Amino acid sequence: MAKNLIQKNAFFLILTLGTSLLFSGCTFKSKIEPPNTLHLFSIAKIKGLDPIYADDLYSGTEVARVYEGLLQYHYLKRPYVLIPNLSESMPEISPDGKTLTFQIKKGVLFQDNSCFKATQGKGRELKAEDFVYSFKLYADPKLTSSSWWLFDGKILGLNEWRDAAIKADTSDYSLPIEGLKALDHYTLQIKLKQRSTQFLFSLAMPNTAVVPREAAEHYGKEFINHPVGTGPFRLEEYNPSSKLIWIKNPTYRKEYYPSEGEPGDKANGLLEDAGKELPLADQIAVTIHVETQPQWLNFLAGKLDFSSIPKDNFATAITASKELNSELTQKGIKLIKSPSAEVTHETFNMADPLIGKNKLLRQALSLAHNQEKINELFYNFRSINAQGPIPPGLSGYDPLIRNPYRIYNLEKAKELLAKAGYPGGKGLPPIEYLNTADSTARQFAEFTQKSFSEIGVTLKVSTSSWPEFQGAIKNKKGQMWGFAWLADYPDAENFLQLFYSKNASPGPNDSNYSNPDFDKLYEKSLTLTDNPERTEIYKKMVKILVEDSPWIFGAHRITYTLTHPWIKNLKPNDFEHSKAKYYRVDPTLKPGNKK
Amino acid sequence: MDSYDRLKKDKTGIYCLYIVVFYLLVAVLAKIGWIATPWDKTVGKGYEPPSFISLELWLGTDIFGRSVFYKVIHGTRIAMSVGLVSALMSTPIGIVLGALAGYFGGWVDELVVWFYTTVSSIPNIILLIAITYVLGKGLTSIYFALGVTAWIGLARVIRGEFIKHKTREYVLAAESLGASHFSKIFKHILPNVFHFVIINLSIQFMSAIKAEVILSFLGLGVQGQPSWGVMIDDAKMELARGVWWQLAGASIAMFFVILALNILGDALRDSLDPKIK
Amino acid sequence: MWIYIIRKMFSTVPIIFGVALIIFVLFNMVGGDPTYQMLGKHANPKLIAEIRHEYGFDQPKYIQFFEYLKQIATFDYGRSYATRQRISEMISNGIAPSLSLAIPAFFLGTLLAISISLLVAYYRGKWIDKVFVFGCVFGMSLPSLAYILFGQYFLAYKKGWFPISGYETTWPDRLEYLLMPMFIWIAVSLGYDVRFFRTAILEETNQDYVRTARAKGLNEPRVFFKHVLKNSMVPIITNVVIEIPLLILGSFLLESFFGIPGLGSITIDAVHNSDFPVIKAMSTLISLLFILGNMVTDILYTLVDPRVSLE
Repeated sequence: MAKNLIQKNAFFLILTLGTSLLFSGCTFKSKIEPPNTLHLFSIAKIKGLDPIYADDLYSGTEVARVYEGLLQYHYLKRPYVLIPNLSESMPEISPDGKTLTFQIKKGVLFQDNSCFKATQGKGRELKAEDFVYSFKLYADPKLTSSSWWLFDGKILGLNEWRDAAIKADTSDYSLPIEGLKALDHYTLQIKLKQRSTQFLFSLAMPNTAVVPREAAEHYGKEFINHPVGTGPFRLEEYNPSSKLIWIKNPTYRKEYYPSEGEPGDKANGLLEDAGKELPLADQIAVTIHVETQPQWLNFLAGKLDFSSIPKDNFATAITASKELNSELTQKGIKLIKSPSAEVTHETFNMADPLIGKNKLLRQALSLAHNQEKINELFYNFRSINAQGPIPPGLSGYDPLIRNPYRIYNLEKAKELLAKAGYPGGKGLPPIEYLNTADSTARQFAEFTQKSFSEIGVTLKVSTSSWPEFQGAIKNKKGQMWGFAWLADYPDAENFLQLFYSKNASPGPNDSNYSNPDFDKLYEKSLTLTDNPERTEIYKKMVKILVEDSPWIFGAHRITYTLTHPWIKNLKPNDFEHSKAKYYRVDPTLKPGNKK
Repeated sequence: MDSYDRLKKDKTGIYCLYIVVFYLLVAVLAKIGWIATPWDKTVGKGYEPPSFISLELWLGTDIFGRSVFYKVIHGTRIAMSVGLVSALMSTPIGIVLGALAGYFGGWVDELVVWFYTTVSSIPNIILLIAITYVLGKGLTSIYFALGVTAWIGLARVIRGEFIKHKTREYVLAAESLGASHFSKIFKHILPNVFHFVIINLSIQFMSAIKAEVILSFLGLGVQGQPSWGVMIDDAKMELARGVWWQLAGASIAMFFVILALNILGDALRDSLDPKIK
Repeated sequence: MWIYIIRKMFSTVPIIFGVALIIFVLFNMVGGDPTYQMLGKHANPKLIAEIRHEYGFDQPKYIQFFEYLKQIATFDYGRSYATRQRISEMISNGIAPSLSLAIPAFFLGTLLAISISLLVAYYRGKWIDKVFVFGCVFGMSLPSLAYILFGQYFLAYKKGWFPISGYETTWPDRLEYLLMPMFIWIAVSLGYDVRFFRTAILEETNQDYVRTARAKGLNEPRVFFKHVLKNSMVPIITNVVIEIPLLILGSFLLESFFGIPGLGSITIDAVHNSDFPVIKAMSTLISLLFILGNMVTDILYTLVDPRVSLE
């Protein structure tokens, strides 16, 4: 009896405690945010804050808040231009294009951190030697950096250093590298094996950023949780699967908001902060939202400053005329549209004896794949049908080219299928379609399955986890799968290299496409800078691809970003990762504590 | 049939039995193709809200304009088959291992106990995912994954009962009459503990249906066929735009069968278990 | 008692070995390959070979298994392949969020379930019994995903009663984020517990000694609380304690929708990424706790029921 009473009492005690906390919970917050705090989100968990592993967009974005590289993209100008970041000016390039000399900015400080023992925790000044050290980190075989591909075969002597380290089973950072030298504390000289226009772009990526040797050595493997960079923000709180808090770096160098942009920026209010010192925000709170629904609802509730529109919420947010609906306009939410430098596609495995050898079959499938319907169902028409691999905005993109196999034409498709040797799909074994396990991918596969069944072709979908999916592709298994390629840098070469035979799986040429004519043109294009001659070559390459159809070219999607009125200076930029330093919150426009 | 009479007296229990039979019937009819065929036909625009224009549109349409009502019916087919097949797979394993361990004791018992303790120590969800990865995706591997993970509870109960029963008089009597181990296990003891199997079956059925939803959420569910799990998984993206009918359709369909199985399970236990009156 | 505990400890060794064997076979021999995941989109055969060597994937399987056993003994699983975090740290960071959802939900839920089941068992067969049991079963018959989607959209977003999602490392800020997932947890689990406890209590009411007590003229509440309750505690405790080790896994569904950085979502991520070290660590941890839970149950039996001895 007594026992039961105690239990019951305890139960009521907890219940009352719980309810009282429920109603008072909102009143006592132990942490207070400055009003100028950005509320951003990431749709994937963060893989760590070490630039050598930050090869995905989400980790790269976080890394770029604290680390910087030699170059960056101009925030406002389009087409994209590179401008100096930690370098004083753009590099001096030798006439043969192989030697790049950078002058490093003076007075740039690493953030204060206990790893700087010589200065009692005060951050020391950045020197050219730091770049030499950092680039060796990327090359260190022991560290298995996921950014090594950016350096692989580029810098004179770096591959040799790496190979020696593999052989000796230890990396010797004191060994000099011919192509990577600090001429003095503020001069960095990089010698390339051959001229490369793409190399400069890679120096603006977060995964070529500079790190201080003290921190890397002090923290060792834990460096991934203790970022020490030169960047505009420093880490305050870190939980890779739920939340990151960044605060303004007090020792950040003098950097200013740009005072010019592209036409229209002024009218959009993007130049109001011209000349102001960066970063503009005092704090950034990044929450991780793996699931779409809570992310979208949090945005609507004003807990996140901006959001893209989830596929399935598009119709509720955007009216038929592609503008915002009234409910959102009333909240002051604005819509920003921008094309993104990417292409979606269905890949054919050219190494497959059936599908790789039968061009007519590929063309038939391409004709049966209804891109308009996909745009309607999955992209809500916010996309441009892709005719080839190169997205708009890059030289080599030809708005006039029409891919004859990317028209939805079932009659023609049936005809080609018959010519390919499978009239009405007879005799054709089911095509093995590889797929990942998420909901959208499943719907895509269902769609493709449905489309092909119209011409009598069956698709056998095999679903697997992401590592398995990748493993299958890299081992040249499967016959077809869907993918999207996002540009690493604003150069069509990044798309065309996907078809170069020497890049075949496990390289980025997933389709294992191989065509000597294409290869010859590709190799030639590498030796050229961005000029009309190169653009002509690019167009020729696209023509070859269209005819061979190693992909069913999908769409170049347009990003629709929704923003609340209080966030300022938001401009989509596909390549610059460090955008948050330009953002600002106007607290007066934020509705008071709406609780 | 004493227990059947007792079950008959429990009105709610009988109704629940009817519900389960009804679901099974729907599943069979859908399987034969007499109702709701074809489920993947486009019957309207994408995301059409429920309306009473036709039976097909009764629960609206999904993203591709397919009838949600038809999908719910075919989901019933999947759910029933998942429940049935996995239960049929796990029950014999549970009975045989439990009976052997309880009856023979000694090292056989130790081996079986070791085996089921080991398997049950691994979080079920890890085991389920691992098995579906190994076997590939699809209905067969779901059957298998649920079948080979779900026998433990039954084996444990059967073992306990066998330990109790093997020293009872009727078993000893059979032994003195020269009954073999086999006949003692299967002819004498098993019928006396079989009500546990029946009760377990209803629990097993229910948890299999629920597990299918979780597996679908993880992307390991049924491929290319409409299941309740896949529909609920779709709903996680649709609900914020106001498309509630896939979620509602699948949830309600699932709700009634789980409810019925639960109450039926209780009723079965009450009428089959000689201890409770 | 001590001898019992020590003996039990030794009996865990074959179980841990069995767990290790199953996990190893499932994930290391037949599961996915994490190499491509680590290399991202720019892999080449040379790099793949290098990374496989660096992580020891090119070692013979028996050596890899031996390494695994060594890790179990030292409880040092190294680092995650996917996040490169130290696994001991991932687990210690994940325990607090998981438990701060699981423990209150579990204890509140269990107390509620015991209270309700006492109530309905006392009034067995009456309308109170039927209404409550039906209500609890009603709650457990809806899929938890439906609760989550509905709760977030309607209760949190439309009504603003709860935050939509989120997590705070500090108390009491954390509490408001945990309320809704906690309620969902209880709603989903209550039905099972109430039905189970009710049965356990009812089985006890039908025992001979209870009838004897009644026949002796003891009044019903006294019989019920003094005898029935005490004896029905044995199956109830078993059921409760057996669930405790699994609490540490939290609920990956609730965790991923409400943004709670607990062990449940860590485990599911690991399985998705073929993150073998994390899977190994989590399964061993859970099986250890599971065995520990069994031990605690056995010891509790002796306290509740003097007839049980630990020999």
